[in-house]
Amino acid sequence: MTILRGKGLGLELALDGCGFDEGLAELEGRLSDRPGFYHGAALVASVGAHRPSLDQLARLEAILGAGGVRLTGVSGVESLEPWARERGIAFQLVEPSAEAEARELRAEQTRREVELSDGARSLVADFAGARADIAQRRKRGETSVRRLEPRPAAPPPPLTLVEPAPATLYHVGTLRGGQALHQIGNVVVVGDVNPGAELVATGDIAVFGRLAGVAHAGAQGDEKARIYALELDATQLRIATCIAADAPARAGRAQPEAASVEGGRIVIAPLNALEHAAEGERAR
Amino acid sequence: MSARKIVITSGKGGVGKTTTTANLGAALAMRGRRVILIDADIGLRNLDLVLGLEKRIVFDLVEVADGRCQLRQALIKDKRFESLSVLPAAQTRDKDAITAEQFASIVAQAAEQSDYVFIDCPAGIETGFRNAIAGADEAIVVTTPEVSAIRDADRVIGKASERRMPVRLIVNRIRPEMVRTGDMLSVDDVCEVLSAELLGVVPDDEEIIDTTNRGEPIVLDQSNRLRGVYDKIARRLEGELVPFSTFDNQSLLGRLFGALKAG
Amino acid sequence: MHELKSQDGGAESAEVSAAAAPVTLGRAIVITSGKGGVGKTTTTANLGTALAQRGARVALIDADVGLRNLDILLGLESRITFHLLDVLEEKATLDDALVADKHSPSLFLLAAAQTREKDEVDTERMRALVERLRERFDYVLIDCPAGIEMGFRNAVVGADEAIVVCTPEVSAVRDVDRVVGLLGNRFQPQLIVNRLRPQLVKKGKMLSVEDVNSILHLPLLGVIADEPEIVVTTNRGEPIALQREGRTASAYRAIAARIAGEDVPAPTVEFKETFLSRIGSLFGGSR
Repeated sequence: MTILRGKGLGLELALDGCGFDEGLAELEGRLSDRPGFYHGAALVASVGAHRPSLDQLARLEAILGAGGVRLTGVSGVESLEPWARERGIAFQLVEPSAEAEARELRAEQTRREVELSDGARSLVADFAGARADIAQRRKRGETSVRRLEPRPAAPPPPLTLVEPAPATLYHVGTLRGGQALHQIGNVVVVGDVNPGAELVATGDIAVFGRLAGVAHAGAQGDEKARIYALELDATQLRIATCIAADAPARAGRAQPEAASVEGGRIVIAPLNALEHAAEGERAR
Repeated sequence: MSARKIVITSGKGGVGKTTTTANLGAALAMRGRRVILIDADIGLRNLDLVLGLEKRIVFDLVEVADGRCQLRQALIKDKRFESLSVLPAAQTRDKDAITAEQFASIVAQAAEQSDYVFIDCPAGIETGFRNAIAGADEAIVVTTPEVSAIRDADRVIGKASERRMPVRLIVNRIRPEMVRTGDMLSVDDVCEVLSAELLGVVPDDEEIIDTTNRGEPIVLDQSNRLRGVYDKIARRLEGELVPFSTFDNQSLLGRLFGALKAG
Repeated sequence: MHELKSQDGGAESAEVSAAAAPVTLGRAIVITSGKGGVGKTTTTANLGTALAQRGARVALIDADVGLRNLDILLGLESRITFHLLDVLEEKATLDDALVADKHSPSLFLLAAAQTREKDEVDTERMRALVERLRERFDYVLIDCPAGIEMGFRNAVVGADEAIVVCTPEVSAVRDVDRVVGLLGNRFQPQLIVNRLRPQLVKKGKMLSVEDVNSILHLPLLGVIADEPEIVVTTNRGEPIALQREGRTASAYRAIAARIAGEDVPAPTVEFKETFLSRIGSLFGGSR
């Protein structure tokens, strides 16, 4: 399985489909397979549902550092954010129900491990271990094959952050209290969003029903994000860093409305009175 | 000196823990004390609702525990009172999102900035309950004068006593008419069965459901007798010896048959 | 099947006979709410009674380990010798533990343990136990504890249907909504609105059934109005559904009929206009 992929002008490290340590061992192997080749490259790590310890993260940094690779972005669960921020690394929150997925992943891994026979189990360990051993031996200069002098390092490619393409999450059904949808991109709900439910999107939020929970659009700072609902009755509205909590009572029957930021405050207007921004698809 | 840390619990659900937490906290705040209320019912939070503060929630208990914000950022100051703040629970999480140690440390932090910390305990005796009492030094057990509530209160008193926690009792929703006809246990009966020190007796009141729906603690209503009742409980909690006065039941029957012990 | 032991009160265990077991699997219904004190246990006791009075074989399971109450509502607390955990841990057989109801011959109770904890219940064994009961009974009603923790999860595990009980209060609606979300796609829960006080609804001091269901969006199984009589019967250990007359008893019977698949007209709430409320409306009550 390829865990290291070229993405645009940088690299992506996909740790979400395997065990974290396994992935690191393989990464180490790959980098030392071709020393200098990746030097200067920018890398984004997709940690997926894993919750790595500080030691594991330090190991990742060390391996990348040894290969001359710069970690410029990481995507994964919320708890990685402070770690990323400390290092000036861009962070992206990954898909909903990260907790459940992590648990699933761990449980799945345990299940998978349990199903292996003794013989098979040692093989799996051997592969990961073997690559790590090779890397170690190379570091100590104990290679069995004579290597040619490495070619002079290619000029470092310009450093850019690789963004995963944002998607729109489309949910049909009522969202109940305690349920949450988090999305990089937009969120559309066909149904009600009950009090106690939560929608968080980096883009827009549209509810084809009654929005009564908490909605946070433009969650990564986009003040142009909007919140639409057939019936806007939210406990709390948030757009980027603005919060509106005491929406005045609506006069008359409910009508479709949109919330947006104007002059640093959230304003709510009927949908048909709204000036639409750029035509066609807004780049989200 | 750090605050008194009191958990308000019951075992049985629906007997009035949250309403008691809100009103007792408010009553003490009205007496000039600095009060912090903490909702420990992760996943089924209601304290914010009962105080009408649900729209002002930005951070919650679990985010404080995870270190994503400071306690003071999460505390919601109730503008109706001089010194009442609320730390809401998380709604989209479960009771295992926090450990007993984490909870106790947050309570300790709150205790440094207040005179009283009240912990609104979830129903039951599982993890949520265990975490809630981990933060407390004292317990107030709320019960109604019904056999099933008393049985559950008994269980909880036992657990609190195991932890050497002083326990005091509030008998909630008493209906003097029904005590008279023998259809409801009297306060004396309840205290005898539970052998706990009585802190207060709160009569059943039609208005109270409406106040919790509207998010306005009943102690704000000057015309309601419950305001006086909670104030007396607050005073007793402070150490004053307030006698359990009789009061006239508002109902026609009550007036016909005279007063009954309450207060 | 198990050897039927004769014990003191042997007539009771003789009732639980494998030979009379229904051929098809019975229905396992969990009665839950999230919020405590809304009437789950009362509903379980009364619904079970109403179903049994129609001739069905009904088993009730009290899943509130450590805080058991179903036995009190049925007046059976002095007859419990073995409980749920004893059966799960194979210290007793089902026949030992199932207690026959005092009033309804085809109603049986499996009580919870009082001195144990909820996390001592093995989820898989609980599921298997409910399966076994379904082989012998037409209905298995599971009284769920308050909350959404282990106790809740264990109560739900063996069920294939759910009834949620809600009172017309904002906090109850919030909690029930959460529970419905947690129950997930496996269940299509039906709603019972409990403790309604129509006079207060009229005065605008209580949520109406429509208010409650405009958030919950659930099929309405029944509406029970608040009545002091219910508390009285609870304390006496005689479920109100046993009464021949009275609107609460009829309401439970209607719910039982609906569960059994009968086409019973939609629940309505009528309330008697008392003298005082009529006076009140003369002076311009709101709503």
